[in-house]
Amino acid sequence: MEVAGQNTNIISARDLGVVACMRCTQVWPAGTQACGRCGSAIVSRDHKSLQRVWALWLVGLMCYVPANMYPMLQTRTLLSVQEDTIVGGAVELIHHGAVGIALIILIASVVIPLGKFMAIAFLAISVKRPSSVSNHHRQMLYEVVEYIGRWSMIDIFVVAIMSSLVQLNTLAAVNPGRASLFFALSVIFTMLSAQAFDSRMIWDVRTRQEGAPLDE
Amino acid sequence: MNETPTPVTIEPARASFFANASFVWIIPLLALAIALGVAWQSYNDRGPLIEIVFENGAGIAERETELRFRDVAVGVVEKVKFASNLSGVIAFVRLDKEVSPYVDVGSSFWVVRPELSAQGVSGLETVLSGVYIEGSWDGEIGPPQSEFKGLKDTPLYRYGREGLEITLRTTSGGNLTDDSPITFRGIEVGRVGKAHISQQGSFAVAEAIIYHPHSRLVSATTRFWDTSGFTFSVGPGGAEIDFSSLATLVSGGLTFETFVSSGGRVSDGMSFEVFADEESARDSVFNASEAEPLQMRVVFEDSISGLAVDAPVELSGFPIGRVTGVSGVIDADAFGDERVRLNALIDIQPARLGLTDEVTPEAALQFLSRRIEEGLRARLASASLLAGGLKIELVDTENAPLYVVQSGEGIIPVIPSTANDISDVTATVAGVVSRINNLPIEELLNSAIQFLNSADALISNEDLRETPKVVRALLGDVRDIVGSDDVQAIPVKLNATLGRFETLLAQLEKDKFTTQLVAAVDAAAAAANGVNASVEGVPALVKQLQAVAAKAETLPLEDLTTQLTTLTASADAILGTDAAKQLPADLGAALNEINATLRELREGGAVTNINATLDSARKAADAVATSTQDLPALVERVRLVLNQANQTIAGYNKGDVLSRDAQSALRDISKAAEAMTSLARMLERNPGSLIRGR
Repeated sequence: MEVAGQNTNIISARDLGVVACMRCTQVWPAGTQACGRCGSAIVSRDHKSLQRVWALWLVGLMCYVPANMYPMLQTRTLLSVQEDTIVGGAVELIHHGAVGIALIILIASVVIPLGKFMAIAFLAISVKRPSSVSNHHRQMLYEVVEYIGRWSMIDIFVVAIMSSLVQLNTLAAVNPGRASLFFALSVIFTMLSAQAFDSRMIWDVRTRQEGAPLDE
Repeated sequence: MNETPTPVTIEPARASFFANASFVWIIPLLALAIALGVAWQSYNDRGPLIEIVFENGAGIAERETELRFRDVAVGVVEKVKFASNLSGVIAFVRLDKEVSPYVDVGSSFWVVRPELSAQGVSGLETVLSGVYIEGSWDGEIGPPQSEFKGLKDTPLYRYGREGLEITLRTTSGGNLTDDSPITFRGIEVGRVGKAHISQQGSFAVAEAIIYHPHSRLVSATTRFWDTSGFTFSVGPGGAEIDFSSLATLVSGGLTFETFVSSGGRVSDGMSFEVFADEESARDSVFNASEAEPLQMRVVFEDSISGLAVDAPVELSGFPIGRVTGVSGVIDADAFGDERVRLNALIDIQPARLGLTDEVTPEAALQFLSRRIEEGLRARLASASLLAGGLKIELVDTENAPLYVVQSGEGIIPVIPSTANDISDVTATVAGVVSRINNLPIEELLNSAIQFLNSADALISNEDLRETPKVVRALLGDVRDIVGSDDVQAIPVKLNATLGRFETLLAQLEKDKFTTQLVAAVDAAAAAANGVNASVEGVPALVKQLQAVAAKAETLPLEDLTTQLTTLTASADAILGTDAAKQLPADLGAALNEINATLRELREGGAVTNINATLDSARKAADAVATSTQDLPALVERVRLVLNQANQTIAGYNKGDVLSRDAQSALRDISKAAEAMTSLARMLERNPGSLIRGR
């Protein structure tokens, strides 16, 4: 990215011996324990954040399995009860010719969550292990993940709106399936996981990785 | 601040993982625990899988079709597949663990699907939700079983609809309809299950249930009958259609009644008969219940047509059974020739034999065997002269060869036959018919026709028609003869003869002349007195008439009319008196007598002492004269009055009743007055004539 191209010589706050409050962004000298302005604890690097990332990531992944196995939507009409999983519903839509909608569903409910899992996992791993991806790209990736995370809830919104609108007693009714709960949990936990990631560590890698050339 | 911090060497955590571990790991652990817990629980809660074999899998869907018990889902069909060799459909049902122990050997399963029958609609909810499997089992844990055979239909007896289970059996004429209701006073209290035919094919048998608590209505003497269909009768009260309910009209139904209250309790499995109608059911109470019939066989020497199935078998005129089959039989070994013989299968109802001890086919056979050894034989007889059907009669015969009835397993006992009664009957009938045939009806008719022809000719004869005229002419002649003067003169001549005879008699009594004369004079005096007395009322009459006449000129018409009425009434009364009526007659008679007497006296010439007589006569005549002196004046007055009255009434001659009456009254009065006038004039002219008779 051009940001990376513009300036590859980035000096971190730690390099300058300061530390920023993560809450109110006030900069303090390194070693300050608590923010003098907002009172939140200040650490230069939250090393336990990776553990949180992994733990929440794991929970999110665990929830994602039943979210795809159980039916997302239960459509009850006068004569029949139809229960569709996320993928099953999308496949059915493709069979009915609604490829566009099916693609939207597949992207929103399958591709993006899976991408998020992979992105978070990649970021968490790249902190520990050298990566060919530049720090700027990883930072970018992190921001995208954090930004896009909330939009994964669109499936849940659809289910919620549908089930609240279509309640015609015996004629037709749409109820959320069990998968919707798990899907929501999965999204929540991946968001939490993404938030738990301390993005400053991306740059530490650079320090270590590019420390030698820097020191050179 | 410008001091560059020493680079921090990041060491891999050597401390134990748990020491550095964040508390956040609790969350995935917790999630894992929950997931495992849920998994274990669902596995633990999973009941056993049972297999139910159905004839077909209509509507059973995997993972959808529920197993219900008392309408609560207690399982779901997990899988449906064909049984080996495709003989059925196996539904694998995952039971709820809660009920699985109760699903034991006695359980039954059937598919509930929408059903539209004459009794109504059932299983309607399954139209929308799909079929479900209904299970029924009791509340006790029995030996477990995992493979079941599904029922084709809803069973009668199921948990929650307990009742008295009975067996129903048709009698002849009774009907059983599958799955029909049993009603009692119009309320459905039970149900007939699937009917099937009994082993011998003689009955239809069906399981039935009477639900609790109605089962107490059934006792050993309860009779069931068929209420399906309708009866139509036309009687003096008009036409009548009778049926119990529309449902039973269409689909059949049974009802029952306990006619005799002394029945014992009924236990499950008891058998009842279904009668055709209430009447036969009621009648059956007083007959012994029909038991399994005793089947026997009769071989008749001649094959005679007319014996039909269901023909009665009678013993001493009492029906004890019926013919169940008729066939010809040729058996050279048994009978010695190859003639066709009539072989009749009969069912004898042991209950009709009046057996005292046990009513069973065996007892009946024993009884009949004994009777057959004593000479009981079967014969064909005419059941009805008109219809010409035959029946089988069991009759005692004299000197019959001993016959021992053979019986045993697989042998139908044979009743020996004897000479049929049928020929006699036909002979009689033929005789009657031929006699009727031989009657000289045609001759009779010919004679009658001839007679009628003759009569017709006679009547149409001209001479005969003339007869009435001749008779009429004859009668006219007779009338002429009768009306002829000669014939009518006969009484007159008779009278004359009688007069002469009287004269002769009078002459014979001549010796008593004097006394007769005195009597005659006395009579004349009396007559004169009578005239006197009669005339005494006349002046009053005259006065009244005068008054009337006076008033008539002045009084208004009404008064005149009323007074005239009273006047005429009075006049009528006076003239109507016997005395007045008798007056002329008396006078005439007296004068005649005197006349005759005097004539006789004159002719007789006996006038010696007549003077005294004449004196007295003269006195009498004087008295008469005296009394008649007033007469001319009286007559004049009467005439005047009458003239006046006549004039008045003539003016009032409107032809009404009163005036007519008055006129007639006045005419009568005037006649009377004229009579009196003439009498008076005669007396006046010649008073002596009264005495002399001239």
